Amino acid sequence: MEGRIIVVTSGKGGVGKTTATASIGAALALEGKRVAVIDMDIGLRNLDVVLGLENRIVFNIVDVVNGKCKLRQAAIRDRRIENLFLIPASQSDNKDILTPAGVERVGRLLKKEFDYVLMDSPAGIERGFENSIASADEAVVICTPDVSSVRDADRVIGLLYARSITPKLVVNRIVPEMVAKGDMLSHEDVIDVLSVPLVGLVPMDQQVVISSNVGLPLVMQNDSTAGQAFRRIARRLNGESDLPIQVPSHKKGMWGMLTRKFGKK
Amino acid sequence: MLNALFKRFTGQTSTKDAAKKRLKFTLVCDQLEVNDSTLKNLQGDIIQVISRYFEIDREALQLEVQRDKEVSALVFNTPILCVKKEIATAVPGNKGGKKSYKKKKK
Ligand SMILES: Nc1ncnc2c1ncn2[C@@H]1O[C@H](COP(=O)(O)OP(=O)(O)O)[C@@H](O)[C@H]1O
Ligand SMILES: [Mg+2]
Repeated sequence: MEGRIIVVTSGKGGVGKTTATASIGAALALEGKRVAVIDMDIGLRNLDVVLGLENRIVFNIVDVVNGKCKLRQAAIRDRRIENLFLIPASQSDNKDILTPAGVERVGRLLKKEFDYVLMDSPAGIERGFENSIASADEAVVICTPDVSSVRDADRVIGLLYARSITPKLVVNRIVPEMVAKGDMLSHEDVIDVLSVPLVGLVPMDQQVVISSNVGLPLVMQNDSTAGQAFRRIARRLNGESDLPIQVPSHKKGMWGMLTRKFGKK
Repeated sequence: MLNALFKRFTGQTSTKDAAKKRLKFTLVCDQLEVNDSTLKNLQGDIIQVISRYFEIDREALQLEVQRDKEVSALVFNTPILCVKKEIATAVPGNKGGKKSYKKKKK
């Protein structure tokens, strides 16, 4: 059976595309799937450092598309997680070095090799975005609960719909305390505005920064609330569509309960 | 703190309600702006309808989205050159529209 190509995109930068690509990709591989995560942020490569694979780069996605190497030569195998492969971006500053047609051609090869191919899209809606959605069968749109991110997500969702893709939404960097106080859009608010299906809710979590410091996949940290959320997203994408979506909540225990009570007033 | 200040000045319940309201509004405007073809089609349709009743200056007309704090409005602005006599006196809902809508020769 052919694999699925999923683009992870957002419009706005810094909302968690790369974190999500690395985490969902690693989680799908832990589920036993053969996964390639591809850094489509040409010129600003980062997926390699988030996954801690930056020292093993030889070829990149531009080399693959331009026929300078074979797919297998560019795919770096993760030694910690079986079946997880990274194809890094090039650091070229030539915007036109890739074309949607070229990416589409390589997409067809990728689908034969892998169960899941995750494309980490750059910010923006220009050429880099076009390239990253060129071969996509599905899309995951990441947004954070703030006005500018939701607005940009809406724009990207419109562009995906125009290509007959119904994206699934991840709301990232949720701070439950702020939601409870009415100082942060809740996921219900975001869905109400964007009207796309939700696939997961990810809390703000210090472990995200900590694991990117050391280049360890987030989903391998058992005490990471964000990591757990990404694992559930992966399971949902992987067919467990009735797995309930967990809403991030404040810390349990006395202090949490007290502040929650006050928060309501 | 900021929240309290905000409440005092705007009388709104929470900052996130304000965020949501602004978002919804912005998205409508964005979509209208982005979707040039929709606006073009709308303009064409409006011209067609209005031209049945008035001679208008097609070059001078403007269609725009005006945003205000509470509401947004679609504003269609066109100089009217003259009222078409046949239509002005015609019974509304008259059948055989095509013929009677024909442009009056001057
Ligand atoms: N759930 C989260 N909790 C805390 N920090 C996060 C979370 N998601 C992302 N971040 C941080 O936000 C920053 C931007 O994330 P990144 O994945 O690089 O975004 P993008 O790829 O969309 O530009 C990074 O420093 C990352 O560590
Ligand atoms: Mg990124």
